[in-house]
Amino acid sequence: MREIEICVKEELPDSGDFHMTKPVLRMEDVSFSYENQTVLEHIHLTLRAGEFLALVGPNGSGKSTLLKLVLGSLHPDSGNIFLFGSEPRQFREGSRIGYVSQKANSFNQDFPATVREVVASGLYGKLGLFRRMKQQHWERVNQAIEQVGLNDFADRNIGRLSGGQQQRVFIARALVSDPELLILDEPTVGVDAHSAEEFYKLLVHLHRQKGLSLLLVTHDIGAVTAYVDRIACLNRRLFFHGNGEDFSREKERILTDAYGHPIHVMDHRHEENVSS
Amino acid sequence: MIEMILHYDFMQRALIAGMIIGVISPMVGLFLVVRRLSLIADALSHVTLSGVAAGLLLQKQFPVFQSWNPLYMGMVFSLTASIFVDRLRHLYRSYQELAIPVILSGGIGLGVVLISAADGFSVDVAGYLFGSILAVGESELHVIIGVGILVTTVILLFYKELFALSFDEESAALSGIPRRSINILFNLVIALLITASIRVVGILLVSGLITLPVAASLQLASSFRQAMFWSIAFSQVSVLSGLAAAYYFDWSSGGTIVLVSVFILILVSSGKRLMHVVNRQIKSRTHSRHQEGSS
Repeated sequence: MREIEICVKEELPDSGDFHMTKPVLRMEDVSFSYENQTVLEHIHLTLRAGEFLALVGPNGSGKSTLLKLVLGSLHPDSGNIFLFGSEPRQFREGSRIGYVSQKANSFNQDFPATVREVVASGLYGKLGLFRRMKQQHWERVNQAIEQVGLNDFADRNIGRLSGGQQQRVFIARALVSDPELLILDEPTVGVDAHSAEEFYKLLVHLHRQKGLSLLLVTHDIGAVTAYVDRIACLNRRLFFHGNGEDFSREKERILTDAYGHPIHVMDHRHEENVSS
Repeated sequence: MIEMILHYDFMQRALIAGMIIGVISPMVGLFLVVRRLSLIADALSHVTLSGVAAGLLLQKQFPVFQSWNPLYMGMVFSLTASIFVDRLRHLYRSYQELAIPVILSGGIGLGVVLISAADGFSVDVAGYLFGSILAVGESELHVIIGVGILVTTVILLFYKELFALSFDEESAALSGIPRRSINILFNLVIALLITASIRVVGILLVSGLITLPVAASLQLASSFRQAMFWSIAFSQVSVLSGLAAAYYFDWSSGGTIVLVSVFILILVSSGKRLMHVVNRQIKSRTHSRHQEGSS
């Protein structure tokens, strides 16, 4: 077994502008274990308002557990988590967060619902019990559908759409309640390379246009380095927490540390340089 | 038939009861089917049987309960069981369907024991098992009307929450929809619906009326609203045919309702296949014509 290293306690330098904005999510020395198995150790992580953070790591590295802690379905053994300043379990303003789960596209493909109906369901929690959808709410739904470029598909049955399009529907559903933070868990699993690329471009666009804070959990390291502000590399401990350029420079070392063996990353950088 | 309906009280009662049940069963059934819980209805209906048997036994043993409709006892049993279903599903998170055989066999077991212990009832138990729409009495009609209003109100009030939970329970709960409370409320609605529809379709066939029209509607609908509309339409056709068959041919209303539902399902799905084949033919014909034209 590998020896447990002591995590770097001090914050790594931020990539500039976000230094002054208030944190949307803050994890302080968080550890968690299932029964006897330690899954997360001494995690320090900060996501500031308007920042695009990618959380990468191999399978079983604790990414999903970390998300469950953030969303309040699990409770840390030690350490503190603050979501918009309050503890996830106490957090009651679900509509400030948009969440696209990994299981989102494993829904019942024969479900009788149109794109518009599914996107509207993202508003129901915010709307509250006994309130009906009004004109302005439907306009908001149409707007969200437009943002993800699915206007022509609004009245189609969701099961008839391609995997990539369905993924966009779920983004629209998460966006419709005007969240400040969008959390995406492996959103491009089962989506072809071209659609995945389009998908990342859409995220960057939303991020820039609306100042949306994004937390993207993925194992697709090559793709994200080109798009995100900062990267956190996780495998039980946090191996790296910094900006994309620093990550690219030391990629080999970080990934070897995190994955336990050297890995080769396909780099699909684009003409459009996002971090500039 | 209209004359008959206007003339006879029992026909009026049968018609009103049938139409109410024909609206509320697919309304609830649609949510049940898309949540893959259609068998819950079956399980709860069997529990209702034991409740009805208990009610009949009370009537027989204690004259005080003489004026009590045994359906009320059935309602108490199925409401209790619906809460048990919820608890069982929490107990066995990865074997959620296990709740169904537990409740189903428990219900029928208790029902059979109660019936045999009573050593025969003055009323026909078969009426409860297979339904007899023409035998809907005054007090039963009151139960049906009351349940009809209650179920419709709950479904309309919580339509959006039920939709969101049915499509994606996890995300709905995260977005702030009170999952537990809505689910418990929905279970209670199912229990009420089943009790009310027993007179019309019978315990053994209740789940047919709840799921079959929905199954047919799923073949046609691309939206949830359409699915709701079509399942209610199909269910009305089935119930009214059941009523007519019971009146003219003295056939079992429950059996006819379910058979007509099955027939509609076959018709709709084969019609859809036919349309699909025809469309493909037309497409390939125009395609080959295009090729001829270009060569």
